[in-house]
Amino acid sequence: MDVNMKKLKKNAFRNSKVRGETASRIRIPGGVINAKSMAKIAEIAENYGNGTIFVTNRQGVELPGIKMEDIPVVNLALQEIIDDSGVNQEERGQGYPAAGTRNVAACPGARLCPFGCYDTTAFARKMDKAIFPNNLHFKVAFTGCSNDCAKVRMNDFGIIGMTEPQYDKDRCVGCEQCVKYCQKRSVGALSMVNGKVVRDTDLCIGCGVCVAYCPTRAWTRSKEHYFRLVLLGRTGKQNPRLAEDFIKWADEESILKIVKNAYAYVEEYIDPNAIEGKEHVGYIVDRTGFDEFAKWVMEGVELPEKAEVTSRIYWGGKRYDRSNNLK
Amino acid sequence: MSNPYIPFPSEILEVIQHTAKEYTFRMKYVGEVKPGQFFEVSMPKYGEAPISVSGIGPDYVDLTIRKVGRVTGEVFEHYAGQSLLLRGPYGNGFDIALYEHGEVVVVAGGTGVSPVRGVISALAETSDAGDKHVIVGFRSPDDMLFRADLKDWAEKLDLILTVDGAPEDYTGNIGLVTKYIPDLPLRDPATAQAVVVGPPPMMRFSVQGLLQKGFKEENIWVSQERKMCCGLGKCGHCRIGMNYVCLDGPVFNYTQSKDMLD
Amino acid sequence: MGYVLKKEAFDQVIRELGKTYRIYAPVVKTGEGRFTDVDVVRYDFVGSAEEIELDKKSDYAFKELLTPLSETLFYFTENAVKEADKDPREALVFLRSCDLHAVKRLDQIYLANGREQDPFYKRVRDQLHFVLIGCAGSFDNCFCVDMGTNRSESGYVFSVDRSGEDYFCDVKEDAFRALFAAEGAEADVTPRYVTENPVHVSVPETVPVSIYKHELWDEYTARCINCGRCNFVCPTCTCYTMQDVFYTDNGRVGERRRVGASCMVDGYTNVAGGGQYRRTNGERMRFKVLHKIHDFRKRFGYDMCVGCGRCDDVCPEYISFSACINKVEKAVREEAADHE
Repeated sequence: MDVNMKKLKKNAFRNSKVRGETASRIRIPGGVINAKSMAKIAEIAENYGNGTIFVTNRQGVELPGIKMEDIPVVNLALQEIIDDSGVNQEERGQGYPAAGTRNVAACPGARLCPFGCYDTTAFARKMDKAIFPNNLHFKVAFTGCSNDCAKVRMNDFGIIGMTEPQYDKDRCVGCEQCVKYCQKRSVGALSMVNGKVVRDTDLCIGCGVCVAYCPTRAWTRSKEHYFRLVLLGRTGKQNPRLAEDFIKWADEESILKIVKNAYAYVEEYIDPNAIEGKEHVGYIVDRTGFDEFAKWVMEGVELPEKAEVTSRIYWGGKRYDRSNNLK
Repeated sequence: MSNPYIPFPSEILEVIQHTAKEYTFRMKYVGEVKPGQFFEVSMPKYGEAPISVSGIGPDYVDLTIRKVGRVTGEVFEHYAGQSLLLRGPYGNGFDIALYEHGEVVVVAGGTGVSPVRGVISALAETSDAGDKHVIVGFRSPDDMLFRADLKDWAEKLDLILTVDGAPEDYTGNIGLVTKYIPDLPLRDPATAQAVVVGPPPMMRFSVQGLLQKGFKEENIWVSQERKMCCGLGKCGHCRIGMNYVCLDGPVFNYTQSKDMLD
Repeated sequence: MGYVLKKEAFDQVIRELGKTYRIYAPVVKTGEGRFTDVDVVRYDFVGSAEEIELDKKSDYAFKELLTPLSETLFYFTENAVKEADKDPREALVFLRSCDLHAVKRLDQIYLANGREQDPFYKRVRDQLHFVLIGCAGSFDNCFCVDMGTNRSESGYVFSVDRSGEDYFCDVKEDAFRALFAAEGAEADVTPRYVTENPVHVSVPETVPVSIYKHELWDEYTARCINCGRCNFVCPTCTCYTMQDVFYTDNGRVGERRRVGASCMVDGYTNVAGGGQYRRTNGERMRFKVLHKIHDFRKRFGYDMCVGCGRCDDVCPEYISFSACINKVEKAVREEAADHE
């Protein structure tokens, strides 16, 4: 059996421990798929796989048990799903053109969740359109609010929704529910002064809990949707760590641009000897220094006036490459 | 149209401290007023609060105020000669004529003594003061209000002064006010009048005791304390069922108040 | 006298009226709902017909003009008290039949409960004229028919029913006729009103004291989160709390305001010294519900609730006021049966 495994993997099929078998990796950007496509996925799993569907951590699905020789016909069958999802493709009938840049994940966001500060699925799909296909190993994820149900802090680029609470003191009756809920469910950025609410704008994380609990619409959401961009979290064997804050009160356009710029940076600095051309962005930044990274990603980015950018980021996390002694 | 919300300034003639927290403000006031009625009083740094009239003179009313919240002792002690903003009087108050003749029992607890102080003082001056029985209870000896009055009342009518608890060396009565109701030396409880004012549980058990003693429901009068923001029947805070404490009370006959459930 | 006007003509009428009156009407506030990208319909002043939301039920009631959520009553200095200024102009208020019935309830408390009228309320109330918005059909949760508030035959200066591009107006006030006659054609107009709601309630004639202690209220202790939204959207809730604000350290200069209050929210019954009268949410629910369908009637002769259903629309815990009325009625019936 002669199979170009590099090509197979790039075509979004997986190396399997069962010789001669593979698994088809299907992208579901933003985590939402039409029921019709899901039915098609089930059909492929029945016809070419082992009849099971693996739901991945990044909201894609994998169909295990596919014979390698069935790849072309599976790719043809995938076309309907790819078309329906709007994922970029290079050549029709040839399946997914890349697998390096991972599925762009999202929590349910404002389509469903009362706390979601924006339509996470729509933004995730827009991001996917902007960065896929690409072979570089990038993980991008979107979450609707600071609860971070999508666990975006374990991604290279995590986007957290924010709203800037708008306060109409004339509609405020001083019931203090926003103060109580901010204290209990968020960071405690609100306090009562002379019967009205004062928001500590430094402390406020823009989660919108005050808006959700205000009984009179004294608190409303800002017309603009804002985002917190967190950088370079990761799992892995050497130094797993949570992403750290880079920008708060960022806008959609800047975030798209920053992530796209990061590809140019990685192309410039990636270890030419990296195994299978795969190196986490974070390790490259550890090598070049954060300033160089920031210079590249901020190229041509015009942030809104409100935005706050950190000049330095220090990541923590476990350093298995230095010590693994628990005693 | 005159605006009933606009308060009038009233000079503080005297400030009398009773306990660590309770003070009586003798306020300049000329006009008709009855015990049991209340004024809305603006306390600097605190805001407006309904305060019962605890004493009435020809040109003054006494308002007994408990220091709470943001108000400091300093605010209380340095005000003689200055003025406070008042509105009122509000509410129906007690009908003292009802208690002038015959046997009367007054049961009052804690700050509940304030609204009935005027009633008790009137009873003390009646010709049959010996038929007027007054049970006054405080949490402890330190919580006693109106000490001078208590002394005066003790001389003129049948006063039982009691405290819920006290240090070992205390020689006075110890026990809840309800303890003394069964032994009241009454000739005819069925015709006697009763006035009960105090915290809700104390009122509930005292009324029970009086009914067991043979009092008629229609001869029992209670005064309700509620958060009255306006005194005018608008703010809604004092409503109990169909009644507004500020308009229809605070003094209610028990036949009415027994069905007033919060 | 009725008139039918085209869209432009109706807009012209509104613009013309806007020269004399402030026009207060339901308006869609884009994105100002609780959730992201969700609108809210609430009252505001408008300058054109286009801004007026004639199709939806407003989430919040018109009462905010008469009983503002937050209103400075006066300013006090060391020696003087000065009443806060008010916009003296007359206003036209667009509302539906249920809300027009609610005006009577507000008047009852602010103008006819106790000896004193509320001058802050009265000075606004005296400036108001009402415009009836006809109802083509029942909205979700409405039970106006059972509360007898579905129809208003008087109390408004004119009405408006939109049907496609046509605006049908029943003009009651002579002073307004010339304006409509100039812009539209005479027609027979009866404001539309709802004759059937999907939701029905049976209001018990009398509620015995035993119901106050009935276990039916326990359910609400568990379900209700005492947020008070039901009160703030209600067109008939009138409670307020006085708030004193001090500008100076000695507390002698500042302002007094009143803010909307809710009998469901913590603090409503707190008295000096920490006493509180209704601690559980079930007790608070009972206090509110029985006021709307019983206690108010005992005092004034008619029910307070107008059946607009806004409390149901807004409750985050899906507690239905109408369902509660029916639970009370059932409990009353069962108690009566037990006593027979």
